[in-house]
Amino acid sequence: MYDLVRGPLMWVAFAVFIVGFVYRAVQMFIVSKKKEKFFYPVSWAEKQSIGDYSPEEHRLKWLVSFKNSMLGNYPIVTIVTSIFHVCLFVTPIFLLGHNLFLYKAWKIRFLSLPESITDFFTLIFLLCGFFFLLRRIIVPRLRAISTFNDYFLLLITIAPFLTGYFAYHQWFDYKTMLTIHILSGEIMLMAVTFTKLGHIIFFFFNRFHISSEYGLCQGSRTW
Amino acid sequence: MAVGEAKPVDKGHVKNLLNKKKGKMKLSLFLCAHCGLCAESCPLYRLHNQDPRYMPSYKVINSLGKLYKKINKVDGSLLEEMKELIFKNCVLCGRCYCPLGIDISKMIALARSVCRSQGVCGVYPYSLGAHEEDFPEALSGMGAIEEK
Ligand code: HEM
Ligand code: SF4
Ligand code: SF4
Repeated sequence: MYDLVRGPLMWVAFAVFIVGFVYRAVQMFIVSKKKEKFFYPVSWAEKQSIGDYSPEEHRLKWLVSFKNSMLGNYPIVTIVTSIFHVCLFVTPIFLLGHNLFLYKAWKIRFLSLPESITDFFTLIFLLCGFFFLLRRIIVPRLRAISTFNDYFLLLITIAPFLTGYFAYHQWFDYKTMLTIHILSGEIMLMAVTFTKLGHIIFFFFNRFHISSEYGLCQGSRTW
Repeated sequence: MAVGEAKPVDKGHVKNLLNKKKGKMKLSLFLCAHCGLCAESCPLYRLHNQDPRYMPSYKVINSLGKLYKKINKVDGSLLEEMKELIFKNCVLCGRCYCPLGIDISKMIALARSVCRSQGVCGVYPYSLGAHEEDFPEALSGMGAIEEK
């Protein structure tokens, strides 16, 4: 089993992830080809330049827009989700254990963080994940739209970190835990193409073709 | 609110309307992280004591989402069911902000187009988010609560 997840399955996972990534990116590109009618007569850039404000008005304007920002509306969630996403990215990429494997396999040296730091990041990440779970269970508006998938994907996301943590601390049987860890990581990578984890990909493209004032290119990509 | 008599639906036409924008719309539906962060950006959500039924993603999931899910068997009762959500609970002001960049108002607009094409419409002041209780005479004068 260990050999399977270390070998063929790992390549399958990477292949699915990369092919899926490219496929979705291309799909995004095609979908954004058609120009949408733009809802608003005033573009974001114009809006910024309208009006002659005194410093006091400027301050108030800033305060209002801050109040209405993600951070103003959901301070806790915004901070937690930022930490969650940074840990999600940084931990696996700069993990000494991962990079030792890379070195053993291909003699590639990559920057690693001290293990005590990545260990701490993992713990923080797990806490954030737990926070998302609680939030989904407790907050009525989230309960109203949550499906099995939402819980399941949260589990898929957290699983590699949880099992990685267990494996690192050698809780339970190391080899078994490592196998589950690798497997869960592979499942997560593969899930990116097919589930809402796809926002990993879309994050980079989406805002270019929304046709509201929050869009960057007014309803379609313009490059 | 009473759900009106289900009208016959031109399934082919509905399917055409939905398919025309299938790419972007289905992608957006599938991407929505169900995180609920769009809620506070909607003035109607704020106005109605944080009632989940006014949350932008709730409205999209339960209107356009259902239309795509049942694209081959859209019927009158389905459209009647979502009528309140998209005509009354949303004024299409476009203020909804999704951190992932999902174009929520465009999606509700499409759900509205589909409903309207089958004669299922919202009536002012429903369309401004009023409750029946708030404007009984105004609504009864406009045939909006004829189903009652
Ligand atoms: C605009 C940027 C992004 C925003 C606003 C965002 C937002 C979110 C939110 C709110 C959640 C929690 C969902 C819940 O309540 O359960 C989430 C989960 C997640 N995000 Fe992001 N995300 C962004 C970018 C990314 C990127 C670039 C990645 C790639 C590493 C990523 C990977 C994930 C994963 C794996 C999950 C956990 C699965 C889940 O619960 O849905 N996200 N994201
Ligand atoms: S529309 Fe955007 S903000 Fe709203 S629940 Fe979906 S992903 Fe979250
Ligand atoms: S367009 Fe509809 S959902 Fe979006 S903010 Fe306005 S009323 Fe709310």
